[in-house]
Amino acid sequence: MRRRFFGGAVWLFCAACLYFFENNTGTRIVLLGSLAAFLLPPVRAAFFGADALRDEDRPTQRTVRTFSQMEEEEPGDVRLYQPGDPVRRIHWKLSAKRGELLIRESEVITDPRDEKRTIPSPEAAGKDRFRTRAIWVLIVLALISVALLFLLPQAHLGTQALCNRLFAASEAVNAYAYRYYPVPEGQSAALACVLLSLFAGALTGLMILSGSRLLPLVLVAACTLFQVYFGLALPVLILVPLYSFFAVLLMRRPVPRSDLLAFGVLVLVLSLVTALLLPGVDPATERASEAVRDRLSELSQSFTGTVTEAPEGETETRHIHPRSLAEGDQAARTERTFRLVTVLEKQISQPQWVDLLKILLLAILSSLLLILPFTPFLLLNARRKKARETEKRFQSEDTAEAVRAVFSRIVQWLDATGRGGGNRLYRYWPQNFSDDLPEGYAERFSRCAMDVEEATYSSHPLPEEKRARALELLRETEKALWSAADLKQKFLLKYWMCLCE
Amino acid sequence: MRPQLESVLHEVEKVIVGKREAISKILTALLADGHVLLDDVPGVGKTSLAVALSRAVGFSFQRIQFTPDVLPSDLVGFSMYDKLSGDFVYRPGAISRAHLVLGDEINRASSKTQSALLEAMEEHQVTVDGKTYPLETPFLVIATENSVGTAGTQPLPYAQMDRFLIRLSLGYPDYEAQMAMLRDRQDQDPQETVVRVMDREEWIARQREARAVTVKDAILDYITRLTMASRDHEKTEVGISPRGALCLGRMAKAWAYLEGRDYVTGADVQAVFADVCAHRLLLKENAGVTVQEVLSDLIRKTENPDRRGLFPGLRKK
Repeated sequence: MRRRFFGGAVWLFCAACLYFFENNTGTRIVLLGSLAAFLLPPVRAAFFGADALRDEDRPTQRTVRTFSQMEEEEPGDVRLYQPGDPVRRIHWKLSAKRGELLIRESEVITDPRDEKRTIPSPEAAGKDRFRTRAIWVLIVLALISVALLFLLPQAHLGTQALCNRLFAASEAVNAYAYRYYPVPEGQSAALACVLLSLFAGALTGLMILSGSRLLPLVLVAACTLFQVYFGLALPVLILVPLYSFFAVLLMRRPVPRSDLLAFGVLVLVLSLVTALLLPGVDPATERASEAVRDRLSELSQSFTGTVTEAPEGETETRHIHPRSLAEGDQAARTERTFRLVTVLEKQISQPQWVDLLKILLLAILSSLLLILPFTPFLLLNARRKKARETEKRFQSEDTAEAVRAVFSRIVQWLDATGRGGGNRLYRYWPQNFSDDLPEGYAERFSRCAMDVEEATYSSHPLPEEKRARALELLRETEKALWSAADLKQKFLLKYWMCLCE
Repeated sequence: MRPQLESVLHEVEKVIVGKREAISKILTALLADGHVLLDDVPGVGKTSLAVALSRAVGFSFQRIQFTPDVLPSDLVGFSMYDKLSGDFVYRPGAISRAHLVLGDEINRASSKTQSALLEAMEEHQVTVDGKTYPLETPFLVIATENSVGTAGTQPLPYAQMDRFLIRLSLGYPDYEAQMAMLRDRQDQDPQETVVRVMDREEWIARQREARAVTVKDAILDYITRLTMASRDHEKTEVGISPRGALCLGRMAKAWAYLEGRDYVTGADVQAVFADVCAHRLLLKENAGVTVQEVLSDLIRKTENPDRRGLFPGLRKK
């Protein structure tokens, strides 16, 4: 549970970082969309636990399953044991009956940790060895390609050229990029492309082979930080596939095909909608906003009277600046004053270290805000599960166990409505029962308490009719206390204590 | 309640009116093969109770009125020279042939005599002139202490008090009981009406059954927590000893048996807790509370086994 939650939290963190530090509406929508897409299909699994909500786990039929019924379980659910199957899933009862090992085949997603608890077969061992070797090869491959990327000057330059292209692409979406690398004209990026794809391929192979979900998480974080640092706003067609690929890797494996399909459709629809409706920045709007900003600064200067940071001429060139950009005036670019302005702009735009700290703080806050709404569900889910377990025990083979379970539920009801006797023995609880309980309830309660004492402290089995008696008392308790409860208590009973459906 | 023990109780109640709970506690203690210390004012029927009990169960009964000059040899017997055979012959003492002994005003005896009796109680045998003589089975002692007129008495040391399984007081009968008593005893002695409902073998069998009562770990855990809490309590100087814990378990078993069950519940422990532990607890000076208050405080604050059994998640350690 905690691990799953951790994965979700890192994802949310990254998404929040991007969301808050991109200044482009289209990107925001894409990011929020990919976030929703990530959350939607596995939200059940990630936040509620797949098995908690499965219908067959609910004790809907309140009948005791007899041994003969157990035997007649659908034969489609089992298959012959094969070496390498997890021991936990062996259907011992049927296996004992048929004299051969049978495996329970259920679609319940298995914990990857189970895989370790198998009887090793020679084939599996061979496969394992192959896998370890492949992993090592991939690690070496990734390291070598990274090293080459940095060591070969051609590859290094090529990478920078690639980055420049990325920045250009980002600029198309988001008005301007913070920096460009000084790269000779016509620098070929072929070698860098080969090395980079080698690296990416090795990483992907690693992620798939090792089955670890830590690596994609780290990559998601790295990707996000990269974008935040460079102030990038990547086009939808790059961003969405990248993040959805990571999301698929992050899902709890094996991923059900239906979840995968739903996820894919969502991503497709989202990217199409964004690409069609919000293609990027409108240059006219950008220009207009710049003009407004200039006029504002002029106004503020006239209010304060003096100009502190910029000399007179510089303010004037600000007026020229948008025009010169628009018209592509080469002469304006060479002017000293223009260079001054660009330097100033660079200083303003590029994130400083203090800003990074601010970013971090804000990101933590925002991710907290995103996570917080889920915490009550997590808490409630634990209670729900517990309540379900107790309900399952009502039909336990062992009458004593069942009576105790039923009585614990009764006690919870009384405690929740403030009628409990605290640290008094249960048989003495009726002493402070109020009059609004039904006639003779106190006697029935103490009789049931005595049954529970017998169930707890004696070593002989309990007669079957005591179970029925306890269940009868539980029903009576539920009815009486529910009708007597006020709205707040009803809310508590239903959602906080999870005592009733 | 077990019908046979119920009838014993009924017989004793003919003599002691309106003291059902105290009588059943005493019966329980004797069933658990323990000794009883009665702390009372004179004249509330301690002797009558012991006599009626021994009549109903078919015990041989011996009563000793302790004074400072009662000697150990009066209790355990002595060897005397027989002129005819030329040998020393053992003459049994007061407790040698008795099943049930009532020691009246045990705090009036010298400490030597007290310790002789306490040793016999513990060992179930006496040793005279190097020879050991076993006592009768069962050997049960009901000792009394008067809380008034204590001048010249030798109070039982704390360590010896520990030997008694329970200590309790009968107390005065209420108005109804006393009226009934006065009305009934105008022309007949109620002791005469007590009939024997049991014999010695049956009693021993009942004791064996009481020992076989089931005690689950949850109950032992409760007893342990109760006694340990008594040692840590802010008002106590000396808490309940491990022997006290053993006695509590024994007494709870017998109480459960008397109630007609073959398993001990938390309610059994609570029912006998005060009687078993009151004389084993030494409060600090100027504690400002009574022992009974401390005991009920312990019961109130120690988490009961019922709750622990149903909600094991609450367990701390």
